[in-house]
Amino acid sequence: MKLGLRLTLPAQVLVLFISVFPLLMQLYISLTDWSPLSGAPWPRAWEFWNSFANYTDIPGDRRLWAALGRTLLVMVICVPVEFLLGLGLGLLFVEDFPGKKLAYSILIMPMMVVPAVAGYMFFMLFQSGGPVNDLLSVFGPVTIAWLSDPWLALVAVMVADIWQWTPLMFLILLAGLVGVPQDQLRAATLLGASPWQRFRTITLPRMKVIITIALAIRAIEAFKIFDTLYIMTGGGPGVATETISVYFYKITTNDLIWGYVAALALFILVSLSIAAQFAMKRMAR
Amino acid sequence: MTRAILRTLAILAALAVTLIPILWMVSMAFKPPSEWQAAGEALTWVPRAPTLDNFRYLFGQGGSDLIATLDRTAVKPILSSLLSASVGTLIAMTCGTAAAYGLSRFGSGANLPLALIQLRLFPPMAVMIPVMMMWAFLGLMDTWFGLALVYGIVTLPFAFWLMKTFFDDMPKEIEEAALVEGCTRWRVFTRVTLPMMAAPLAAASLFVFILNWSDYLIALLLTTREWVTIPVYMASLSSSMTGQLYGAKAALGLIAAVPPVVLGVLIQKHLVRGLTFGALKQ
Repeated sequence: MKLGLRLTLPAQVLVLFISVFPLLMQLYISLTDWSPLSGAPWPRAWEFWNSFANYTDIPGDRRLWAALGRTLLVMVICVPVEFLLGLGLGLLFVEDFPGKKLAYSILIMPMMVVPAVAGYMFFMLFQSGGPVNDLLSVFGPVTIAWLSDPWLALVAVMVADIWQWTPLMFLILLAGLVGVPQDQLRAATLLGASPWQRFRTITLPRMKVIITIALAIRAIEAFKIFDTLYIMTGGGPGVATETISVYFYKITTNDLIWGYVAALALFILVSLSIAAQFAMKRMAR
Repeated sequence: MTRAILRTLAILAALAVTLIPILWMVSMAFKPPSEWQAAGEALTWVPRAPTLDNFRYLFGQGGSDLIATLDRTAVKPILSSLLSASVGTLIAMTCGTAAAYGLSRFGSGANLPLALIQLRLFPPMAVMIPVMMMWAFLGLMDTWFGLALVYGIVTLPFAFWLMKTFFDDMPKEIEEAALVEGCTRWRVFTRVTLPMMAAPLAAASLFVFILNWSDYLIALLLTTREWVTIPVYMASLSSSMTGQLYGAKAALGLIAAVPPVVLGVLIQKHLVRGLTFGALKQ
């Protein structure tokens, strides 16, 4: 066998192993009512055959659609905020100033913190007797129960996400910003262009690809949000902060309705594939 | 002048917001139980009576008056995190580097770049049921190597893409010279290319290690008791008497946070490349 093929073989095997087997198993289980508690091992799941009942259950699954809506809400708020903050910070770091390296190293720390640990940090910060309320108390006594209020809990989760992932935007956007030719910017300044004009006509066009990459990466990861959120609220109070991943986790481990979970997983995978194809075509243009 | 002042203020504000959550956890980790929660009085930002008890407690030494000793210390979870993340990194880097070289030099496996990006796109949660079923069947549930294998697959896209961009950037002349000297292609790869790529390999490995070390969800699903990793163990730390063990959890969080932060600073200049799948090279 040719060396090139031999070298790529292990990776190919792993990819097949993680995509083909799970998909086939998922497809099989999704057509049944099988669950780990059924008493039969999964190859005998056909004994619980229910055709497409799992799939027809999806449209009426209110908890699912609420979780999806919440996930998208977190996405459309957090990703743009992270982008704007990251861009602003990036612009501050284009020019040199004393202590720049140290400041840079500190600012990118949050994204290196284990997300579960970051979740725990913010869990502590948002306790009703915690530092956040303590800082707010300069305006008068505050005892907000952040994590037990449906909306405030969501706000707290988003604050944690923004804290952790703004550095990623900052890092990527700064890499793009330093690539913008300084002489052009200087020439534009001499010609009397305002900072906003310079940014819009020189910086922005050059940053297009980088901005797209940064937004795409963050949007994908934000859609999967689990660790910080689950540690902070467990999806609660009630189901108030349940996102797609949290909902999946709960019906997998608590409700154990694996036939339905499999159907849902396939549904999500197919929808995401279509969305990705669509997005890539748009981006290619 | 005013611009410089404004910029300094903005950066100081950003630094404060960045550091407060981290410093609060550090402070918490050194507080005795009596200072964990503000009891009527003002919050203690800096521990009044700093102590190492939280760390001692994690490793099974003397519970204080408030909390009973742990029945399971943090030693095994730390070991589990280390083992599964390292071996997962080894799997991802071995398969990823070989495949990246195969594609970069021989054009084999042209389907891999896109297939691996797609792998990254999907929420891991959506393929975990079949993995759990297979793992139960293979006896890999609640073992560190079962976890390592999944980590290896999950981080393979990063290992592959990173190494691919490094190989693409490498000048081919040296390899060609070695080929002319009569080396086989395999020998060129192992004796010429890989040693030359030592620094990129190290950076990519550290990057992949950070990703594996950071996992929570996969370990939450695939380990139950014997081989739970640090984040899973941390979430389970609480006592029936006092509820949340704030200090002990913060101490463990600190232990978990230090390695990736230190490694991250070490590979700072490769971070952008890693995080963007090599699309940006800084």
